[in-house]
Amino acid sequence: MKVASSAQTSDTLGIDISGLHFAYRRGFQLSIPYFHVASGEHVLLAGSSGSGKSTLLHLIAGIDDASAGEIRIRGTNILGLHGAQRDTFRGKNIGMIFQTFNLLQGFTALENVMMALMLAGYSSSQQRSRAESALSKLAIADPHSPIEMLSVGQQQRVAVARAVAGEPCVVLADEPTASLDPANARVAIELIKEAARAAGAALIVTSHDPSLREAFTRIVEVSQFAPTEAVR
Amino acid sequence: MNDMIIVLRSLRVRLLASSVTVAMVAIAVALLLVLMSLREAASQAFRRGTGNIHLLVSADASPLVGVLNGLFYANAPANPIAWGKYEEIKNSFPWQWAIPTQLGDSFRGSPVMATTPEFLSNFEPVSGQPFQYASGKSFAEDFQVVAGSQAASEHGLSVGQKIVFSHGTGGSREGGHQHADHPYEVVGILKPTGSAHDRALFTNLQSTWIIHAEDRRENAARAEHEAEAEEDHAGHDHAHEHEHVEAADLTDADKLMTGILLRLPTRPGSDASASIAAQFDRLRRDMAITVAQPAQQIGRLMAIVGDIDWLFLAMAVVVLVSSAISIMLAMVASMELRRRQVAVLRVLGASAWRVFALAITESTLIGLIGAILGAFLAIGGSAIASTILAQRIGITVAGTIDPRSAALVMAGAVVLAALAGIIPAIKSYRTPVARHLRPIA
Repeated sequence: MKVASSAQTSDTLGIDISGLHFAYRRGFQLSIPYFHVASGEHVLLAGSSGSGKSTLLHLIAGIDDASAGEIRIRGTNILGLHGAQRDTFRGKNIGMIFQTFNLLQGFTALENVMMALMLAGYSSSQQRSRAESALSKLAIADPHSPIEMLSVGQQQRVAVARAVAGEPCVVLADEPTASLDPANARVAIELIKEAARAAGAALIVTSHDPSLREAFTRIVEVSQFAPTEAVR
Repeated sequence: MNDMIIVLRSLRVRLLASSVTVAMVAIAVALLLVLMSLREAASQAFRRGTGNIHLLVSADASPLVGVLNGLFYANAPANPIAWGKYEEIKNSFPWQWAIPTQLGDSFRGSPVMATTPEFLSNFEPVSGQPFQYASGKSFAEDFQVVAGSQAASEHGLSVGQKIVFSHGTGGSREGGHQHADHPYEVVGILKPTGSAHDRALFTNLQSTWIIHAEDRRENAARAEHEAEAEEDHAGHDHAHEHEHVEAADLTDADKLMTGILLRLPTRPGSDASASIAAQFDRLRRDMAITVAQPAQQIGRLMAIVGDIDWLFLAMAVVVLVSSAISIMLAMVASMELRRRQVAVLRVLGASAWRVFALAITESTLIGLIGAILGAFLAIGGSAIASTILAQRIGITVAGTIDPRSAALVMAGAVVLAALAGIIPAIKSYRTPVARHLRPIA
């Protein structure tokens, strides 16, 4: 864990993972003795598919449960929270971006962003103003058009806007460029980095695409964390 | 943005499925409401019309038939009551009134009741609500007629018009033998009473007796001529002469009637008399007549009909339950799409209970919209059904829906719809978030 150990351990605003252990049903395991991401730091989680990159993101977001260990975000162990508490914490502190965007059909671009802000606990008036500002920063021309009417590039921007509009302390992007060509992938990753920087959030991006490495100063191979061989 | 918008959008995204399920609930609610309103209205319509009479004497086969024929104009009574019997009954007790009636003629399918002016002045089709005139007045002389509101509007009758009755009742509008020699003058039009009497026309007994006396004498004369003609082949010209009958010519044999409406004296403000049972028992011993307590007979009829319409109500409830099941099926069928939405909402910070509540809200909303549409549908449907009933059966059924039972049915639909949402809600609640965020393979 040479990369992880070089990080600043005193920063409680970032992400602190210790003694994390996750067992897949298939028998694979993911073990992370220690991993720290500082507030505002950008990290690329590299590794082949199936190495556990997405699982780690899901664990950080609290949508999967570890069998042991802690994940502290702003000092709060998200794995120690249960039920609605954990969901609320996630809504307020973590923004997520997906490969297929996971925007909600039937809603406008503005509504997709407002929905995230509503679930993060913002009042109706704040929802609107924040969503509008986030979308305009990301150059969404028509925030009132239904999401399915937007181009893929615009949809990606809406997905980014949704992740950062609530000013989370952590942004997690799971293979955000996997369905884009290399040129667009670079544009997208810069967009995500810029949005995270503007929000002051720690950013963790997973990708199996080697061409993204040059966009990051800190790159962590997931295989570095954990033995990927099965324990049978 | 709020949860209700999320639910509404979810319904809109699945517009076709949502519309179909809403329509199913609406139809079920409407069906239930119409059946309930008709059930209530039909029994009301039957309770109206017997009015303030205590006993009905007829020569029909049973008391119920007597009431249906004599007060609801179901058929022309087949058996007459003789004048002597009327006099005997009338004088046997100090009745408040004893009104003779005779049914048998019709005007374009509407029954004609021959009676005395007391029928229009003393008999009240609904207790406490005597007949009122929309125009004109009661008949006072021979060959004058007063039309019930519905009969008047159906045939476009107005005061001063001359009309001709035909012998016999029944469906055919121009059927039967026409009493063309004796046109009647319309002298009054009644206001609606909400009873079967609205369909009828009213005239005096003497006019009817005269017409039928002439008919009988003409028939007798014709038969005589035909008998003579067979004997006498020389072929004398026996011109058919019209038999003219005056009131004074009427014999007791001509003075037939089909019903006697009786009311016992009561204390002012009371509709009951302690002697009804005693008089009923006394008259019942006379084997030549049938005596009925109309209100009781109608109660008995409603008890019989009641069993059948419970069956209809049960069917409507089944339809309502199946519409709730269809809500559940539609929601479960769309579960794959729904799970993706649920997973996204969960990632954005919605709790499992919140997505549970969203599913329940969605199914409840389908129930609510369906119930409201169903109520409107029922109001329209009742109006149509009551029109058809009035035309076909002739009972005036006001298609009003009791607000309390309507509220109960609508609430029932909403509750059932909410229950229908439970299984989809549980599935939403249990949706594994991480798995449903992955790209669709």
